[in-house]
Amino acid sequence: MYLKTGVADKELVSNALPTEERRASGPYAIIECFQEIPCNPCTEICPFGSILPMDDINDLPRMDYDTCTGCGLCAAICPGLAIFIINESYSDTVASVGIPYEFVPLPQKGDVVKMMDRAGEFVTDGKVLRVVPNKKYENTPVVTVEVPKDKVNEVRFLQLKQEAEVAMPTADPNDEENLPDTTIICRCENITVGEVRKMIDQGYDDFDELKRLIRTGMGPCQGRTCRHLIMQEISRKTGKKFEDIELGAFRPPTKPIQLEQLIGGKEDV
Amino acid sequence: MSNPKTANVVIIGGGISGVAIAWNLAKKGVKDIVILEKKTVCSGATGRCGAGIRMQWGAEQNCLLAKMSVEFFENANEILEYDRDVEFDQGGYLIVAGNEKENEQFKKNIALQNSLGIPSKHLTPQEAKEIVPHMDETQIVGATFCQKDGHLNPFNTTEAFAKAAERLGVKILKKTKVTGIDVKNDKIVGVETTGGYISTPLVINAAGGWAQEVGKMAGVDLPLYSERHQILVTEPVELIQDPMYMAFSLNIYIQQTPHGSFIMGRSNPEEPRDLRQTSSWQFLHEMINTCTTLLPPLRKLNLVRQWAGLYNMTEDAQPIYGKVDNVEGFWLACGYSGHGFMLAPATGILLTEMILGEPLSIDITNLDLGRFERGELCFETSVV
Ligand SMILES: Cc1cc2nc3c(=O)[nH]c(=O)nc-3n(C[C@H](O)[C@H](O)[C@H](O)COP(=O)(O)OP(=O)(O)OC[C@H]3O[C@@H](n4cnc5c(N)ncnc54)[C@H](O)[C@@H]3O)c2cc1C
Ligand code: SF4
Ligand code: SF4
Repeated sequence: MYLKTGVADKELVSNALPTEERRASGPYAIIECFQEIPCNPCTEICPFGSILPMDDINDLPRMDYDTCTGCGLCAAICPGLAIFIINESYSDTVASVGIPYEFVPLPQKGDVVKMMDRAGEFVTDGKVLRVVPNKKYENTPVVTVEVPKDKVNEVRFLQLKQEAEVAMPTADPNDEENLPDTTIICRCENITVGEVRKMIDQGYDDFDELKRLIRTGMGPCQGRTCRHLIMQEISRKTGKKFEDIELGAFRPPTKPIQLEQLIGGKEDV
Repeated sequence: MSNPKTANVVIIGGGISGVAIAWNLAKKGVKDIVILEKKTVCSGATGRCGAGIRMQWGAEQNCLLAKMSVEFFENANEILEYDRDVEFDQGGYLIVAGNEKENEQFKKNIALQNSLGIPSKHLTPQEAKEIVPHMDETQIVGATFCQKDGHLNPFNTTEAFAKAAERLGVKILKKTKVTGIDVKNDKIVGVETTGGYISTPLVINAAGGWAQEVGKMAGVDLPLYSERHQILVTEPVELIQDPMYMAFSLNIYIQQTPHGSFIMGRSNPEEPRDLRQTSSWQFLHEMINTCTTLLPPLRKLNLVRQWAGLYNMTEDAQPIYGKVDNVEGFWLACGYSGHGFMLAPATGILLTEMILGEPLSIDITNLDLGRFERGELCFETSVV
């Protein structure tokens, strides 16, 4: 289900939660990162080593809850906005949830905001306790909101009150400013949108051509992260319809495997 | 850009052979050259190959052709005025002998290579281990090494030729498939393509694994067949292996690219003759078993991707260069039997000389189509 809808179900979430005992004893981070992608900044930033080092960059992050202080640095650095800071020991009736929030304007302390669940449905109102802008690291601001205690692991997004009434602006597909040239489009190989655009300008308007020449989609993720973004860029620049752009080759295996696991010398993995 | 209706020369195939020939012809002043490529440049064997270059051959002619190519590749960025890098990494080729018989043959090969000015040398297993420290030297009885051998980035090399050719006016039409060759009175008059008809008196068949199909379009039955060869790449790691490691008796080659990833391939003697380019798990199993026996620490690497490409084979594992006698204007540059990438600079120069009727820099008239009928095959044993 998760792979289809992108919405984590109860089971996934409850597996990500620490023990009842730990939940009652101070703030903690919950990592709702459920898909293996080549990504690891969370493991690097935690000053307490609570997010354990990965053997492989595609691994899911794992937590050591004994040492996590709920400082929130990981929530601010996670590019997937997958980490939340929960404090259930805050009072008997209310708890707080720290949510990475990348929209402007930022809410202000004291604002009453609408709290949404993982699927974007309204759950309850909440009161903003704190906004940490994280300018220093150019990371994501984390907004901490007070909500009824039984809802704290249900709500995962917030909407400003007045914003709800304003119609969402539709993204203009021709607006290249959407993504500045410096944005990394292929994370495995560190390729920027600017480099991709330069190649498309030279006439390389096919995913496989770009892959051969600048390695986009050649890294460990095999294009899982960047393929569609690059096709969108080709579409935008050439004016071809997205559907008419060839997907490019998919090659086995879909996930890196250690060679020794393929020689029959090791137990099942 | 609308497709041209006429051309002096049509080259079928946008692989390394096609672009190398086009650039050489254009450099000699030939105008209106068109390359027709059914997919994209490099989508055939060229973009799937190991791109290894070696001068350590068993037959004199191959040594000379490879030497000509190495000398070109050493200066390719400058000659082709390439704005990126063809990444010619001259870390050498270490060719290991699995048995005494092979070892003796290698000593003879070296004598020949040295007499032609190729700086190869024979090594004991211990000496070989100094060059590739992670090898298990007990698996081999000897080795040969030539520091001037190496490998390139096949995509960049092909792009370098293609861009240089385009600057000289060559047109490369991608996603344009040749569907028929128009022959009138035993003469080529044009080609039928998915982008329209192009009239031309001269067609060069550089269609790699599909060369026999292109031959049929002109009514010629070429003594060629294709077979799949598989290859894999790992995640990049620190640079630990300079040379290409190759074993003829085990049918394998293993190299580390400047990017850090290991690329390795293996030939399967039982491979059927067809046009499949699919990947199999059997290949992984056999490749990795052999690789980790010879170079044990590589077992810790992570496999990222496997793929396959076509070898276009002849009976004597040598290319066919030259014209087709009974179809005027039909030229062949195919049948590379797994080493067409390294020959490309020579292919370009020599085919151009043949077409323009100039004296040949290296005599390759014995590699013509007629050799199969005459029964004068030119066998080469040093192949994978
Ligand atoms: C796994 C593998 C490893 C290899 N390793 C090496 C190596 O280390 N060193 C080395 O020297 N060689 C190596 N080779 C061999 C080498 O790749 C080839 O000999 C060489 O690339 C041939 O180039 P080409 O341009 O002749 O053919 P290709 O690169 O195959 O190009 C032929 C092109 O013709 C196009 N085409 C076919 N039919 C038509 C049509 N009807 N209309 C239009 N276009 C058409 C195809 O799409 C293709 O792009 C390897 C090959 C493989 C498969
Ligand atoms: S909240 Fe702070 S202590 Fe806890 S895992 Fe995140 S970075 Fe580490
Ligand atoms: S930074 Fe976020 S997306 Fe990346 S691995 Fe950690 S939790 Fe997952």
